[in-house]
Amino acid sequence: MDTQHTVIIPTGACHDCGGRCVLKVHVRNGVAIRVETDDGEEPQLRACARGRAYRKRVYDPNRLKYPMKRVGKRGEGKFERISWDEALDTVARELLRVRESYGPSAILAKWGSGNPGKFNEGLLHRFLNMLGGCTMDWGGASAEGSVFASRTVYGTLKTGHTRDDLVNSRLIIMWGWNPVDSIWSTNTPLYLMRAKEAGARIVCIDPRFTDSAAVLADQWIPIRPGTDAAMMAAMAYVMLKENLHNQKFLDMYTIGFDKFKDYVMGIGDGLPKTPAWAEPITGVLAPIIEHLAQEYANSKPAALIPGYAPGRTAYGEEYHRAASTLAAMTGNIGIHGGGAAGFERGPVPLLGMAGPSIPTGKNPVEAGSPSVRGSLDPSVRNRTRVHGTRIWDAILKGKAGGYPSDLKLLYIVGSNCLNQTPNTNKGVQALNKLEFIVVHEQFMTPTARFADILLPVSTIWEQIDIARPWLSGAYYIYMNKVIDTMYESKTDFNIFCELAVRLGFDYSDKTEEEWIREIIKISPDMSKDITDYDAFKRDGVYKLRFTEPQISFQEQIEDPENNPFPTPSGKIETYSQRLAELNNPKVPPVPQYIETWENANDPLANTYPLQLVTHHFKTRAHSNFDNIPRLKQLETQTVWINFIDAQDRGIGNGDEVRVFNDRGEVVLPVYVTERIIPGVVAIGQGAWYRPDRAGVDRGGCPNVLTRDEYSPGGGWPTNTSLVEVRKA
Amino acid sequence: MQIGFYFDQSRCTNCYTCLIACKDWHEYELGDEPQDWLRISAVERGKFPDLSISYLFITCLHCLNPACVTACPVGAISKREWDGIVIVDRNTCLGHPTCGACRLACPYDIPRFGTDQDAKMEKCDLCLEHWQAGKKPICVEACPTRALDAGPLDELMNRYKGVREVEGFTYCADVAPALWFGKR
Repeated sequence: MDTQHTVIIPTGACHDCGGRCVLKVHVRNGVAIRVETDDGEEPQLRACARGRAYRKRVYDPNRLKYPMKRVGKRGEGKFERISWDEALDTVARELLRVRESYGPSAILAKWGSGNPGKFNEGLLHRFLNMLGGCTMDWGGASAEGSVFASRTVYGTLKTGHTRDDLVNSRLIIMWGWNPVDSIWSTNTPLYLMRAKEAGARIVCIDPRFTDSAAVLADQWIPIRPGTDAAMMAAMAYVMLKENLHNQKFLDMYTIGFDKFKDYVMGIGDGLPKTPAWAEPITGVLAPIIEHLAQEYANSKPAALIPGYAPGRTAYGEEYHRAASTLAAMTGNIGIHGGGAAGFERGPVPLLGMAGPSIPTGKNPVEAGSPSVRGSLDPSVRNRTRVHGTRIWDAILKGKAGGYPSDLKLLYIVGSNCLNQTPNTNKGVQALNKLEFIVVHEQFMTPTARFADILLPVSTIWEQIDIARPWLSGAYYIYMNKVIDTMYESKTDFNIFCELAVRLGFDYSDKTEEEWIREIIKISPDMSKDITDYDAFKRDGVYKLRFTEPQISFQEQIEDPENNPFPTPSGKIETYSQRLAELNNPKVPPVPQYIETWENANDPLANTYPLQLVTHHFKTRAHSNFDNIPRLKQLETQTVWINFIDAQDRGIGNGDEVRVFNDRGEVVLPVYVTERIIPGVVAIGQGAWYRPDRAGVDRGGCPNVLTRDEYSPGGGWPTNTSLVEVRKA
Repeated sequence: MQIGFYFDQSRCTNCYTCLIACKDWHEYELGDEPQDWLRISAVERGKFPDLSISYLFITCLHCLNPACVTACPVGAISKREWDGIVIVDRNTCLGHPTCGACRLACPYDIPRFGTDQDAKMEKCDLCLEHWQAGKKPICVEACPTRALDAGPLDELMNRYKGVREVEGFTYCADVAPALWFGKR
């Protein structure tokens, strides 16, 4: 290779992939030709397959190249090339028309992980807030159940350890946690390997025998989706019955544990939550539950890491709260090798992924409404916002359906929301009802096909930005501009600058680089850590140095007098007065197992007897990269089904099958396997919705089948749906 | 000297990063979508719920007695004396389907041919130019769980407690592949 004319530029591949890593791109004559990753000081932040294939995303021939307007029906995908002037004039005109005719709350903002550095992240909301405001959605698709639980129990999301602390654990319980596929912060699989090699026993609880279970776990415990809290209650029962719990810890640091104990022992409902009680609910044999409870109580230190997937069920908040309760019962909070089993955001950098973006300002539509920040009451949020699972219903029904506004215009930036929101077929109806849809995108996604105006956006390699670790990991990343802007694409920032001119306000008071300097300046952690901006930019990464792994709640445990937990009581809230005040039996003040809708006992199971879960792929970050052949060819989009369930239906491995319920139908190949619990099927989320003429999805998008309802704490129950499978 | 690979089967998560890194790196020279120079395969055993899966990384093993070198009718494949790396001269290679003798001869099904008429053989060259720059092959540098290493085979065998065979791999003594394994 001609190294003389090659420059190496450090950047990243920032999507909501579960990691944040370093890419070093070789550029020759203005073209990115090769990719290397971090080969510097340990811990190296090595990229995964998604990042290594990023060149194929940037240079994909199907990139959107110029602005377009729709000429066919919505969703049909017929577009015509137009000039930027015509495109931006149209968007500006429509924004003004809708704002004047209906008020700014008729504009719904939908931002996604199509291009999300810290700078890019806030651009849409800043723009719409300057225009007069918009309606926003609330409730994160990934982890709202965990967010709700962590706020309830600990008053914070910062409950995790840096992953290098796993090596100090004697037992690691990976509960619905699959970091081999979904990373969960760069290097997590590596640190798990090291923990295993150091002698930690690893147990994995999951309906599927995931690759994480296969390569890491000493024991796999298959469980029925939506029943995790029942198994945890039974584990608590065993610990209480056998006096294995740490009463001293509970007395000192928690509040209301006795009320949880009453629930577990059956005081009140006369139903002790024994392993025998949990067995028929969970599908886990009572002795296995009993043994895990004993093991967790007796192995010290032990880390129970609650993955977000079991929280993406109806009442998934209860699972997350029960996990934290078990962590308290075993005294594993605030110690090395332990884990609080909360949201898992690490203690460093100080603000994790939630650090500041470009300031968005206040949303005028929400002016005068009570602050939703940290609130546990969904009704407060619903006053001005729409839950993310309900946006289709809100568009279809508006105020008459109890929603805060009648929605007329949808402004989408880097979000494939039709694909990634439950009940895709309802989404199609909703998108068809809107007066105007504008989409910023890089590709013709299933959502982009519904745009009235479709604006081509530059990739992250054609602009600058910065990134923070996903959950934990002590570093920051500077994403340099690698190549010039391709085709007629523009950055989101430039699009908003040019629209603002048409709308009569100034969006370009700072350049991109000035904004990035500003974001560093207003970040309490980065402003201290990044003392040399030019070095940060040159190196592409800044690693914080610590002599030992960093853990959460150490001060609260070591010196509780001076360091209360950030909850109203200052304690770990096993019992939550704030939840008691909601007076909703589906969000009880102590964690409980609540039977989900669409479970195996639902009468609907007579028609649709199989429970559907929707897992992550190694080769996608949600729906990003599904269109990149180099990655797509590695993992076939299939529906997983147990051998027994397949046999009952006369289905053989590789057959085309129909997966269906009242909400829709997907046709895709079947993977008949021993790797999934009978009664459950699994379809990887993120595959692009591709309806045929009859409206049957041929792309394998599981949201065609998921229910657009949210759990009372705000979780997205995308792992709570009943379906049937038949040979196509 | 003989350069070879080390693969720790206990650390492979089937993440495909080595494969993608390899394709990305070598595409520049080939100017075309490379075939898979390396593969990851799975061996699955057991019945629900007592299962085990082992993943296996395999690429050209730069055998001590390479069958492909012997099989090639035009001498396009050679083994470098000073480091044992097996390389192919794509200008001399007859291509497939005219030839393809190397693929038939290789016990590990490594040589690859593109889809074009008489596409020339391609396979792992242990990232020759990477070594020249003092680096290890791109797959080794890519592996997120450090399951891979490469270097002089005797050094690898000294450094890592290992074995010649693991789940899914049979050591073929006739060709003597330069691969050392960490066992699950």
